[in-house]
Amino acid sequence: MTLSSTAPKTTSTMNSSIVFDQVTKLYPGQAAPALDSLDIEVKSGELVCLVGPSGGGKTTALQLVNRLVDLSSGDIRIGDRSIMDIPAIELRRTIGYAIQQSGLFPHYTVAENIAIVPTILKWDKSRITRRTAELLELVGLTPVDSWLGRYPSQLSGGQQQRVGIARALAADPPVMLMDEPFGALDPITRMAVQDEFLEIHRAVGKTTLFVTHDIDEAIKMADRIAILKPGGKLAQYDTPAEVLTHPADKFVAEFLGAERGLKRLALTTVAEVLLAKADSELPVESDLPKVEADVTLREALSVVSAAGAHGARVMERGSHLGDVTLHDLVDPPANAVDAKSGEGIGS
Amino acid sequence: MDESEGLMNEIFGAFPFIAANFGMLMEKTSEHLIISLVPLLAAIVIGVPVGIWLGHIHKGEFLAVSITNIGRALPSLALIAILIGFVGIGMLNAMIALFLLAFPPILSYAYQAVNSADRDLTRAARGMGMTPLQVLNKVELPLGLPMIISGIRTAAVLTVSSATIATIAGSGGLGDVILNQVAYGIEGVLAGAVWVAILAILVDQVFALLLRVAAPTGVKQLRATTV
Ligand SMILES: Nc1ncnc2c1ncn2[C@@H]1O[C@H](COP(=O)(O)OP(=O)(O)OP(=O)(O)O)[C@@H](O)[C@H]1O
Ligand SMILES: [Mg+2]
Repeated sequence: MTLSSTAPKTTSTMNSSIVFDQVTKLYPGQAAPALDSLDIEVKSGELVCLVGPSGGGKTTALQLVNRLVDLSSGDIRIGDRSIMDIPAIELRRTIGYAIQQSGLFPHYTVAENIAIVPTILKWDKSRITRRTAELLELVGLTPVDSWLGRYPSQLSGGQQQRVGIARALAADPPVMLMDEPFGALDPITRMAVQDEFLEIHRAVGKTTLFVTHDIDEAIKMADRIAILKPGGKLAQYDTPAEVLTHPADKFVAEFLGAERGLKRLALTTVAEVLLAKADSELPVESDLPKVEADVTLREALSVVSAAGAHGARVMERGSHLGDVTLHDLVDPPANAVDAKSGEGIGS
Repeated sequence: MDESEGLMNEIFGAFPFIAANFGMLMEKTSEHLIISLVPLLAAIVIGVPVGIWLGHIHKGEFLAVSITNIGRALPSLALIAILIGFVGIGMLNAMIALFLLAFPPILSYAYQAVNSADRDLTRAARGMGMTPLQVLNKVELPLGLPMIISGIRTAAVLTVSSATIATIAGSGGLGDVILNQVAYGIEGVLAGAVWVAILAILVDQVFALLLRVAAPTGVKQLRATTV
């Protein structure tokens, strides 16, 4: 199943970068700007997470892009075109928008919710029907027929959020804005939906600006992270690995928290360490705990520590791939980490 | 003992009266309905659109609230008395009084219905590229409809029951019977009162039914699952 059978193939050929050019927003009646001279570029197809303290201007930054909020000064360009040159309503129809609590219309069925933008765009009925089915499959709500007629109140939070994502993707917009889309989910559901969304993102390659409170979510999802500090100033804009290893200032270091070092380990999987290691030496001890190849170093470390062992046996579908030592986990080979931090952009 | 027995007899006497004077009561009822429903309709025609519009632009809270408070503070009897004092008696005046009675709840409920629409929802709607009119038609109105109808329901019960008093203004209706013990006897007065009460309950129930129909499906589901 390809995603673009009913949607125009825009994203791969078109430049859909989002450029913030000296963007400042001062709300009327406020003494300090909510955003102050923000300069970032989200490259075509990139997933950028905006993080920062509450009131740091994250939502404002997002709403400036689809013109729900007006710029005070500076400019935002999507694919080299200033958003001010496009009528606001037309602009919004080319931007996917997903928010916390899903923002689904309670009086619309799942199918009707997903069809909102295509209907506004006057797609014909059969195309909308096909597209809706395609999207539900994409977000894992199958069999499609059993979901179409449900109302949001009949869905779990995670299911609602999946429909919210499907709705934002409906008209195949080149750009996606997501404002804490998973903020209301419990940790387990949240992880599952994050994984799914990452997979979707890799498949459809939308330029995505993703606001989150949760630095761990940003580290997991983002190609690059933009960290805002109070007063709406950009503190750092870099890859997760770079942000974790070289925080730009004290604010960033504190924002990342005391577990910054551990978080960094969450960026690399044991499989990557095995690959990077020249000698995947054979068992030293026979009672090593087992870990799956796709777990992160952080998770593996936890397993090793819980078992009181000095390393772990790496398994994949029941077969033994090799072993990692405690030392490998705590101080992974540099090329394993680099391989990770360079990935994503332009892939 | 004797007195209460007498009262019971009179209350029961109301039913034979209703049976014996059914034609006359029906005539008075239709008058009564005209006196109450015409002002109600006028209040709907003006109050609903104005309330919706003010709610949509999120302005006029002050207006909506103060009109409601004035409406609440003024008992209908006083209102009619004041009005008769100002403009004199007659059917039109009774209707104006009833209009003034019906207008505040209709306006303020319609205003609240739209103004209180979930901001996240309207933001999502605008963010998807809906025009303001589409936001109104597809989000604010369907979700606010039950509340708009609640306002009309309140106003309808109020006008139907208060139309009785409008007789003071010489406008006809069931008040003619209720306020004329000389002609109709105590049975007649009670019969009229019972009849008005039944009428008000009927009107109330019609709107209750309408409300059930008007609640958007998904929202009804929500209620069903949370109860
Ligand atoms: N419509 C508005 N009018 C005036 N001030 C506003 C408005 N919206 C936001 N602000 C202010 O601008 C600042 C940034 O708000 P914003 O909603 O962008 O923060 P945020 O980073 O999204 O916060 P949170 O993490 O709590 O969602 C805050 O100080 C807020 O009070
Ligand atoms: Mg926010």
